[in-house]
Amino acid sequence: MNALDGKTNYFPYLLLLPALALTMLIVAWPLAETVRLSFTNSSLNPVENYVGFKNYIKIFGGKFPEVIVRTFYWMLISVTFKMVVGVAGAMLLNCAVPGRNLFRILIMPPWIVPIAIGVFIWSWMYNGQFGMISGIGQWLGIFAGPFEFLAYRNTAFYATIVTDVWVGTPLVTIYLLAAMQSVPGDLHEAAWTDGASRFYRFRRITLPLIMPAVATMALLSAIWTFNSFDIIWILTEGGPRGSTTTMIVDTFKTAISRNRYGEGAARAVMIVVFLTSFSAFYFYMLSRFAKRALDKTGGKK
Amino acid sequence: MKLLKLAAVSMLALGTFSGAQAAETELHMIQCGDNTWGGDFAEKHIAEWEAQNPGFKVNLEYLAWGQCQDKAKTLAAAGNAPALAYMGSRTLKQLAKNNLIIPINMTDADKATYAPPVLGTVTADGQVWGAPRAFSTKAFFWNKDLFTAAGLDPETPPKTWDEMYSFAEQIIAKTDAQGVGLAAASFDNTMHQFMNYVYSNGGEVINSAGDIVFNSPQNVETMAFYGKLASVSQTGPIAYDRAKLGPLFINGQIAMYIDGPWARARLNEGGVNYGVGFIPAGPSGASGTLLITDSLAVFKGTGVEEQALSLAKYLTNPVNQFEFEMAAGLTPLRAVAGVKDMIAEDPTWAAFLDIIPAGGPEPFVTDYVGLQDAINDAIQSVVLGEATPAEAVAAAAEELEDTK
Repeated sequence: MNALDGKTNYFPYLLLLPALALTMLIVAWPLAETVRLSFTNSSLNPVENYVGFKNYIKIFGGKFPEVIVRTFYWMLISVTFKMVVGVAGAMLLNCAVPGRNLFRILIMPPWIVPIAIGVFIWSWMYNGQFGMISGIGQWLGIFAGPFEFLAYRNTAFYATIVTDVWVGTPLVTIYLLAAMQSVPGDLHEAAWTDGASRFYRFRRITLPLIMPAVATMALLSAIWTFNSFDIIWILTEGGPRGSTTTMIVDTFKTAISRNRYGEGAARAVMIVVFLTSFSAFYFYMLSRFAKRALDKTGGKK
Repeated sequence: MKLLKLAAVSMLALGTFSGAQAAETELHMIQCGDNTWGGDFAEKHIAEWEAQNPGFKVNLEYLAWGQCQDKAKTLAAAGNAPALAYMGSRTLKQLAKNNLIIPINMTDADKATYAPPVLGTVTADGQVWGAPRAFSTKAFFWNKDLFTAAGLDPETPPKTWDEMYSFAEQIIAKTDAQGVGLAAASFDNTMHQFMNYVYSNGGEVINSAGDIVFNSPQNVETMAFYGKLASVSQTGPIAYDRAKLGPLFINGQIAMYIDGPWARARLNEGGVNYGVGFIPAGPSGASGTLLITDSLAVFKGTGVEEQALSLAKYLTNPVNQFEFEMAAGLTPLRAVAGVKDMIAEDPTWAAFLDIIPAGGPEPFVTDYVGLQDAINDAIQSVVLGEATPAEAVAAAAEELEDTK
């Protein structure tokens, strides 16, 4: 770094050193260690040996590809619902209705309540004998008798998604609400004066202006959902028959429950690879959409 | 001057005290749960052992159930093992295979104090790998009021699987309750529940030679019966582990189920009119039960193995162990004198204790979670109708080869 007098100034680099050291310690080193472990047969045995790509070959020879597909499917459905419900919720909370602040507070409990407690409540709600959902379903005549949502592959899969959406939506809503509040009011007033409908104003003013926030939140939400562990673990432990086993659950079972640290590390590395690839693809698509939008407007921002 | 003298004396005293402290060798002991679980007696016994072994101090660390065993294993794998730790006996073979624990050098006289199947829960390759510390068996519970309502004799539980099934059908036909409580969730006690039926039908998972013998006609029969029970059980058994069956039984929603001795307290509290007996026998066997123990494991490489071994043996000697069991409300590991009084006081204990000789151990393998997943998957595949019992058992047996 050059100082005003043209001499190289090393002091700024010195100031960066603590942050760099900390990053190396808490990010780079564990990551490097995970990659190293993934090439070993590390287990409870204090002696570990390098096994090359054996762990990777083994996991791809098993049910792991199925788990990868399931993880992305689970994530896409969950994030889509979170974003749709989040945008709708933010719009409603942005409306000038009486008691708006109260509603803004009331939307937060799913996010505030410790996840374990919230999910445990859901596990009882899904119970056929005592649960509210089955009870209402029977009362409405939808179910002939008690229905156990966590007992079947499909219903368990979607039940975990519903709970994940319940937990994750408040943050999306509040984040997008903040973005909506930053949209200048005079734009809406001008459009309203021109006779634009509420939906038209949302589509042509609000949505384009909050799009950067939506894009950011969608990516963050995707990453959090991809790594969501406690909801599935508490509700189903990955069952029935692996139908709710996502990559993170599979990795935990292998590395922690079965003490196969090498194989678990290989799975963890694959999570990093897939999440990074997904993020890269996401940014690539975003930049393409942004470019197309700019082209449409003749390059004017 | 006086002040200086005082300071010098204090420093000398402090030095002596520190020296005494430094001379004490610490034994790190990990215990699951907290002090309320027989802790007062355990701590009293530890203090007695310390008095008999001057120079050694036990650092007793209580850890939550969900963390204690993982912490002990992780510390051991990292080369910083505790001297001894409370572990599920199911983990001992894995620890032994990885050279992390030492065997408990029991004499024949020591071994003779346990029923052989109990010792089977901690024995592999002819070595005893843990000092049994906690023990449970399972028994068959039935709701006498529902039996009466269904026109069954409330004092006569089913003796065989056929009877159990027909009783269940009768209960469904004549009451609002379901016949049987069935666990098939992806939790460890699903496998435990299934093993009760395996041992009541002459089956095994792994034999004394260490071979996987899961794919047997007896186990196919057991798997078929477990699947068949789903038709007379509460709906969606895959959503239920054993703990969730208790509330159904208390509410009179199921008439029969299998549980441990601890269930009685809740049932008594709930005012349930129930009976406890042996688990009905399958067509190829006699009534049995699953024997589960937790043990004190002595870790290798701590430098205090000898003392840890001595402490483990002291804590689990017949007198101290029974005191601990009574305080913690556990099933007695040995048939000591006090056991007869227990049965006289509460005859329902007989169903849990008299069955011990016919019980089978929790399968002793090196990858317990793998075993549990394989068997649970087989159970779920049959309950969901996605595989025949023979296919499910064969597939599980193949997976189990990787866990022994």
